[in-house]
Amino acid sequence: MAEYNSNCVEVIETIQDHLPALYFAFGRGRTEMLAEELGRTFDFLTGRERQAVRKIIKETEDACPGLFTLRRRNLRRLLLQGIGYHHAGLPPVLKDLVERLYEERLIYVLFCTETFALGVNFPAASTVFDSCRKWDGREFRGLLNREFFQMAGRAGRRGYDQVGHVYIRIDEKYPEQTGFYNELDVEPVRGRLMIAPNTVLSLLYWKNDEEIKRFLEQNLAVYQNNKEIWQLRREVKTLTEKEKRLAARFCPEKESPSCQLYRLALRRELNHLKRRKHRHRPGARERREELRKLLQAQRKECDFKVCAEAEKKLQSIAERKNQLLARIDRLQKNSRDFVEEFQNVWRLLEELGYVQGRELLPRGKFALELHVQEILVTELVFSGILLEATPEEAAAILAGVDYQPGRDEWVERPPFSLEHVVHLRKFLLRSGVPEHFCVWSHLPAALAAAWYRGVSFEGLMQRCNLEEGDIFSILRREIDLLRQIERAAGNDAVLAGFVREIRKTLDREEVAMVGV
Amino acid sequence: MRRKALVILKKGGRRRKTGEDWQPVPIKLDPFQEKAIAALLAGQSVLVAAPTGTGKTLIAEKLLEKILAEGKGAVYTSPLKALSNQKYRDFCRLFGRARVGLITGDLSINEAAPLLVMTTEIFRNWCFANPEMLVNISHVIFDEMHFLDDLERGTTWEESIIFAPAHIKILGLSATVPNIREIAVWMEGIRGEKVSVIKEKKRAVPLQINWLSPSGDILDEAEARAEVEARREARRGRRVWSGRGGSRYSEEQRPFPKA
Repeated sequence: MAEYNSNCVEVIETIQDHLPALYFAFGRGRTEMLAEELGRTFDFLTGRERQAVRKIIKETEDACPGLFTLRRRNLRRLLLQGIGYHHAGLPPVLKDLVERLYEERLIYVLFCTETFALGVNFPAASTVFDSCRKWDGREFRGLLNREFFQMAGRAGRRGYDQVGHVYIRIDEKYPEQTGFYNELDVEPVRGRLMIAPNTVLSLLYWKNDEEIKRFLEQNLAVYQNNKEIWQLRREVKTLTEKEKRLAARFCPEKESPSCQLYRLALRRELNHLKRRKHRHRPGARERREELRKLLQAQRKECDFKVCAEAEKKLQSIAERKNQLLARIDRLQKNSRDFVEEFQNVWRLLEELGYVQGRELLPRGKFALELHVQEILVTELVFSGILLEATPEEAAAILAGVDYQPGRDEWVERPPFSLEHVVHLRKFLLRSGVPEHFCVWSHLPAALAAAWYRGVSFEGLMQRCNLEEGDIFSILRREIDLLRQIERAAGNDAVLAGFVREIRKTLDREEVAMVGV
Repeated sequence: MRRKALVILKKGGRRRKTGEDWQPVPIKLDPFQEKAIAALLAGQSVLVAAPTGTGKTLIAEKLLEKILAEGKGAVYTSPLKALSNQKYRDFCRLFGRARVGLITGDLSINEAAPLLVMTTEIFRNWCFANPEMLVNISHVIFDEMHFLDDLERGTTWEESIIFAPAHIKILGLSATVPNIREIAVWMEGIRGEKVSVIKEKKRAVPLQINWLSPSGDILDEAEARAEVEARREARRGRRVWSGRGGSRYSEEQRPFPKA
């Protein structure tokens, strides 16, 4: 983050008449760093307000002792100065606390990430954009108009502010990354249908042929695509009619030596061939003769400018038509064939023994209840890997399902080998299962195992460099998955009991949802 | 161009917050809210597209009030678990704990309540597997419906819209999107019912967008574009005077010295 030039103190000085402010930054570390920086110079609270903050913090601390871990002690100090930060790495209790203080108007400047714009329905006097680029899980890209206005729109308190102030920082080092936005350019919503194994199983099991057909052929993406093609075709049609109308204007003598338009073209060619550069080319002399002969014909006396204009128009129409046709071609080529995608996944499921025609086999029935990495999880169960493992190992294995590690994440190694899961994954990939249908990482394994063994949350923190919020969401997601497996187990009491026991052990203390 | 204020705040300095006395009171219903509620009461599915903070939630609350009073049920879905939890708390406060349930993948509270807050994923699953649980539900409310456009999760919204049982009316709340009518027409086609569109372009409080130059000036769009251009030029190694302080590169500061 050091490459960024930050001067949030100066920014806040500039906008100090428009507080409270939401200061959007993209990156958790960035929000913390900016808050820290502002905290070195600014203290916003009056004595009474500080008392109020202290009281609220104390209430929360009484309910959850050890709330401010070593890592978060700075947040406590900052909150007492009327400054806060808020991002997905914070434990939920702290997020709630910050939100509550913000809603009580005890935070003057809140440094936050994008999620805050969705979450809290409480406006500020102004919003500030530290930068206009965000990491969307694949790449750094500029904010869309829609995203920008969702965040910017938090500025302006109804019935109090004349306008909501939005400030976009121009970075000294990266001025070209400055965003310019217009509410009129907000991006349209497009259909994003995806065909996952569960989609296919659900359709085969619950829906009839006609409903499946409707789903595949009338979904939003297809609708939008067809509509665009239809509109383009209509435009092409009107252009073609125009072309015909224009062509009708020409007299029958067009392109004959008596036509003035044609004669102009011939004369141009003749002059061209007379130039020194071209005159000695092979065939040039013969052509000249020919042209001269043609030009000897009687010229038709007419207002040929009409024809000239029509000719010009025709040319531009032809150009536009070609563009449209190319676009139609592109749309047709690039449009996704959902029927084919559906059939590919269906075939894969048949090969793997999940379905036979429209009939769901035991594996298929099991995967029907799963909504993340259906194939991988089903195979973990049906291969026996899960039930042969100790509950601790099972907890470790399942924590990694659908987990995509970030760039610098580190977690200590689990006390047992997870080679067999790696082998299973490799086997699935070799059997033709696409990569995104078996996403698994060994990274969270040790954390889930330790949590199952009864290690404290603080203990988990020492075993990795993840933040509280990440560990929390790893374990909550595993609890979600365990519930799905329990449901899928159905009458298999052994499996159901096995996963229920793991879930109950994981769902405790800091990871439990207190008071929702 | 306005210069920045000269007062510098330090620890214990003057307070700068404004609007301590301000309360977020929902002032009386705006015409677009009235229109949306009327269409809903007339038994239509409705899409509302309005900027953040204009009071889309109020439409949902009015509708829920009515549904609950009639002894029917409703589902409210939101895109994030954290939002579902928050909405659950809000609704508990508004309608009483007994009448509100919460179902997310990893949690379920009061599943039999008439008003169910859930993630869109759960609703989608119910549409396939447990339509019998939705018999008494008269409406589903999709909050932040522009999530339809989400690359990874948009499919959940779409499957929900396509497969929500026919007797359920939809209230979709979306940020401003230009093609909301197109989506409504598509929904009419696939669901075979009338879908009204209520659009509100105007913000409750208009936004004033400004840019902040590295030297702390507040700029309007034209000035900001000039500033950005000047700084880019400067970085390319040319000597440019931006007309504002701090962008003049001397020969030795030049990032890429001339060959």
